Amino acid sequence: MPDLSRRDFLKLTTSTLLTASGLLGLGALFRFLGYQTEPPQQTQFDLGAASNYPVDSRTLLPNIPALLLHTNDGFSAMSLTCTHLGCTVESKENGFACPCHGSRYDAQGNVLTGPAKKQLSTLRVETTPDGNLILHTD
Amino acid sequence: MYRRLLFIGSTLLLVVILVAWQQSSRTPNPIALIPTLTGETEYCTTCHAELPEISKSHPLQTFGCVSCHGGERLALDADLAHSSMRGGANPSDLSVVEMSCGGSNCHSGSEAENRDHIQRVMTSVQSTYTGAITSIRFTFGAQTDLIPQFGTSAITDEKTQTGITALAAFDAATETNPMVQKFGENCLTCHINAVPREGDVYARQTGCAACHSTEKHTLTTAIPYKQCNACHNRGNYDLGLMTFVERTDQPATRIDDYYQPIAQFTQCEYTLDCVDCHTRSEVMGDGDLHANQKSIQYVQCQTCHGTLTELPQTKTITDPNDIALRMAFLNPVLDLKVGDTILVTEKGEPLWNTRVLPDGTYELIGKATSQRFDFRPVMGSACEQKPDEQGSQYCHACHAVER
Repeated sequence: MPDLSRRDFLKLTTSTLLTASGLLGLGALFRFLGYQTEPPQQTQFDLGAASNYPVDSRTLLPNIPALLLHTNDGFSAMSLTCTHLGCTVESKENGFACPCHGSRYDAQGNVLTGPAKKQLSTLRVETTPDGNLILHTD
Repeated sequence: MYRRLLFIGSTLLLVVILVAWQQSSRTPNPIALIPTLTGETEYCTTCHAELPEISKSHPLQTFGCVSCHGGERLALDADLAHSSMRGGANPSDLSVVEMSCGGSNCHSGSEAENRDHIQRVMTSVQSTYTGAITSIRFTFGAQTDLIPQFGTSAITDEKTQTGITALAAFDAATETNPMVQKFGENCLTCHINAVPREGDVYARQTGCAACHSTEKHTLTTAIPYKQCNACHNRGNYDLGLMTFVERTDQPATRIDDYYQPIAQFTQCEYTLDCVDCHTRSEVMGDGDLHANQKSIQYVQCQTCHGTLTELPQTKTITDPNDIALRMAFLNPVLDLKVGDTILVTEKGEPLWNTRVLPDGTYELIGKATSQRFDFRPVMGSACEQKPDEQGSQYCHACHAVER
């Protein structure tokens, strides 16, 4: 093994340090560029085939939360988010009740007792050409 | 020389990058929460997932943390995340309560709908402490009458029903009488926004949480007497020394724990909890500035029991928005419904945890204990109370518990 002069040793070490710094720096750059921001809140929900929801059915969709109605007039949906402060209302006899502050709504979503002042929102339901239902919450 | 500088520089660069990398790798992976109320991502639960839900009325998925606590919602560094929190860990401290708990849909709503909680608390004697301040200043000649001039902080009441339109902030440093100064130094720990005295028996938070938070990160309307006793019944003020003298007895029974051994009480006064009888306007205020505790506290034995000649006042609930139903919803110790008849106070406040029974007697459900108590009116009983002696002190003469 040839003798390594002091100058060559310093040169080699410096190169190694710079290479390591460069690699780490590149890693940090990739990490920065690859940062996943929070996805925007979902506003469209694929409910599957419309045929899964027979006429006169009322289907609770707890994950949205919403109630899907299928009548002779077609599909419609109602938000189950309380219009007072946003808690999820619960289905009760002849309507809905908010477990947080006690607002009550009738089966059509109209306010029976406060503190909510607005009725439950109506949501748009779209049927795709291939027969699927898409619920829009925006 | 150049090579040496290059060597040192490259070493430093590597060290800096390694330190930055290590710091970055110590940052926890964020856990996102998007509360329904705000729709904005917050990372607080990355570190605070273990906290209990604060109350049924404030679910985490709806409120998140930031709408009440403030703070930097996307920060993962503890110091940064907490840097802009309101009231430290207690957003209900009265200095920040309007920002934290206020809003027309929350606790500074309309007076007509009984949703003006913050305005009422801010003007309540528990907050202003004006009765004590006025009394001391009058006693030691700092003012010539008992008309309230000062509270613990400046407050106005533009719609006053009591004639008290404003209180200035009491500042002991500007007082000239040494006893009033000493009062300011030693005797201001009882109002609800004061930092309590040291010791487990005095432990409470400030603001709304002084009464409504009985355990860590919880809010409740089922307030046991022990919470009230963090301030009340803990000792006495020695006006000679102008200092607080802690009680030293070792209570072995509930009545002795409840009250100091200095007065007479009937069984219901210590079997029940304070909030079973005392109403929200007595405790939280009625929106007006009052001169002292006596001016706002009015419930007595006869409120529930009536007198020899009169039954207690009652009311049948007909409005589904009745505040009695709201109160029963928040603390469902009884299934109160439209059509039920409840007792009401002389001022018309609902005693929503009571109900008139078909046989003309009454039931009361303990708000903190859920315990049921049956009781009857004085009218028709063997009571020999004189018509002009209807106050509670006369009830105590016969019904006080021996101790």
